[in-house]
Amino acid sequence: MEVLGYFATSWMDPYLLVLTALGTFAGIYVGAIPGLSVTMAASILISFTFKWEVTEALAVIAGVYVGGVYGGARTAILLNIPGAPSAIATALDGYPLAQKGLAGEAIGLSTVMSVLGGLIGVLALALAAPVIAEFAIRFTSRDYMLLGIIGILLVGTLSGESFARGAFAGALGVMIGMIGLDPMTAETRFTYGSINLMGGVPFVVAMIGFFGVAEALVQLEHVAATPVKQKVTRIVPAWADVRRYLGLGLKSSGLGTLIGALPGTGGDIAALLAYDQAKRSTKNSEVPFGEGAKEGLIAPETANNAAVGGAFVPMLTLGIPGDAVTAIIIGALYIHGLKPGPLLLTDTPHLFWFIVGNLTLANLFLLVFGLTGIRIFTKVVECPRAVLIPLIVILSAVGAYAIQNNPVHITWALGFGVVGYFLKRYGFQVGPIILGVILGPMIDSNYRRAMIGAQESVGGFLFDLVSNPISLVLTCALVFMLLSQLPFWRRRG
Amino acid sequence: MKTPDTVRPGERAFALLLVLFAGYAFREAYGISGFSGLTTGGVMPMLASGVMVVTALVILADTLRAPSGDGGGVRGVVAYLFPLRVVLFTALVGVYVAAIPWVGFLPASAGLLFVAIWALWRRGPVWAAGVSALSIGVIYVLFRVVFQVVLPAGSLWQ
Repeated sequence: MEVLGYFATSWMDPYLLVLTALGTFAGIYVGAIPGLSVTMAASILISFTFKWEVTEALAVIAGVYVGGVYGGARTAILLNIPGAPSAIATALDGYPLAQKGLAGEAIGLSTVMSVLGGLIGVLALALAAPVIAEFAIRFTSRDYMLLGIIGILLVGTLSGESFARGAFAGALGVMIGMIGLDPMTAETRFTYGSINLMGGVPFVVAMIGFFGVAEALVQLEHVAATPVKQKVTRIVPAWADVRRYLGLGLKSSGLGTLIGALPGTGGDIAALLAYDQAKRSTKNSEVPFGEGAKEGLIAPETANNAAVGGAFVPMLTLGIPGDAVTAIIIGALYIHGLKPGPLLLTDTPHLFWFIVGNLTLANLFLLVFGLTGIRIFTKVVECPRAVLIPLIVILSAVGAYAIQNNPVHITWALGFGVVGYFLKRYGFQVGPIILGVILGPMIDSNYRRAMIGAQESVGGFLFDLVSNPISLVLTCALVFMLLSQLPFWRRRG
Repeated sequence: MKTPDTVRPGERAFALLLVLFAGYAFREAYGISGFSGLTTGGVMPMLASGVMVVTALVILADTLRAPSGDGGGVRGVVAYLFPLRVVLFTALVGVYVAAIPWVGFLPASAGLLFVAIWALWRRGPVWAAGVSALSIGVIYVLFRVVFQVVLPAGSLWQ
């Protein structure tokens, strides 16, 4: 009964209800407008909401997340421009459907299946997280250190052109996270006598720079692109279609939840894998894949929304983000004095069940907003990049300043943006950098605790890594990850 | 993971810069506490910068092995990395950041929006002024009034 009360917090409180609705609504547009991304919006939002109650901040950010993952599909279907990476696979069959005059049907079907996927992902979160957290209470400092390293490397492995680039980006993030006073000895690290640097680099500033400013600079290349307009008619899908594709939707939801729950993966990988799986398993599609197969639309859309719930599992139970947005939500929890990890569920169960309830609510709002307001939507997404790009810079400036009301942070965000632009041009992903900034201090403190526990003996430290079952499994996972990147292994693969 | 078949313009020089930067970062990390202990404040920075050195060397080796693509030379690098639009926009953003403490957030933002929209959209100064004014109005209401965020003040304009 108590759990139900926590679950229904945002359903019963009109203010939270409105915030969730607004977040979901805004998220659909953020996800849909090419040039804006959910990670960018979430990182900027944190800087405005950090003075709010944690439930209020989470209601908006979770709404933006759920809406944003879905919103990317709309521009993928209407304009053949995925609004978000998670909608890349959606465009493959969604756009051909729109070209056949079935844009409304494609949007309706993708909305219903996105909600199905989202709800299954949340159900998995509700069922799996308490079990994993119960187990994770046994984790020691060295296990958290290993988890942090694995989390950064996984993002680096899966999101860039090469493992070396991902690992470099992750290590660079850790270095940025080390700037300031050492929390254990108050020794200065990379401060060069600057008072501003002594306080460290707020990770929100790094996020805004790498995700906001850098993306704005990259987007300048496409500033002249003009979208193609589509005619949208009936949007509510036929019941027969929903029933026919329910099996595929459930299968893709399961896959999406699992992929989303793996640290470092997210909706984009879940969608691509689900698309691939649907292509292999569908025997008698009415239309070939790539030419407007509804299966090719449903599988990625269900999977990427299911991945949202999945991504919350490692974040809330282990403190390891499932993807870039959950990395930002971890940041939001830290800002509010909470520490994501197994103790979050035991110390603050109300917050966990609030998140579960709020994600469910956001999915229901998604159904409402997804099936309505399409005419206004088609007008808004035509907003030219020439207006969006300078607006992103201005929002980034407000966000960077708002954290500590320090104008220097605006300059830092711009600097990170320029560095991020160069890195992106040469195939580096900025996700591992942000994870490094957030998880770096956690890895540092846990490493030092573990080493002190081993009485500063390298042999003792290494023995601890393999003598405890949990540490052994994590060490093996880390070693396997590193070995799998060696040339001889990859050639065999 | 996909690897491009050929190196991008300037990629080898960029990889070399990464090696040099990583080496400098390692030297600075060593300067924190050297090898004086296994739990000192310098250990994690040294480990992280060590990873940077190794991976930067791998990236450099990869780029040296890969065949050169089209558009090499200084012109290719400039065209790829420093298109005029990016350079001018970055310079404009630099001026904007420098102007904020002087003229304040709202006038500086209005200036950035007007110049950027006029230059990028090419629909004339009236459109640019109209969209800029509307955007600034929305930003003010949303952030100052609704979110109650403190916006940066200037010495000339509070």
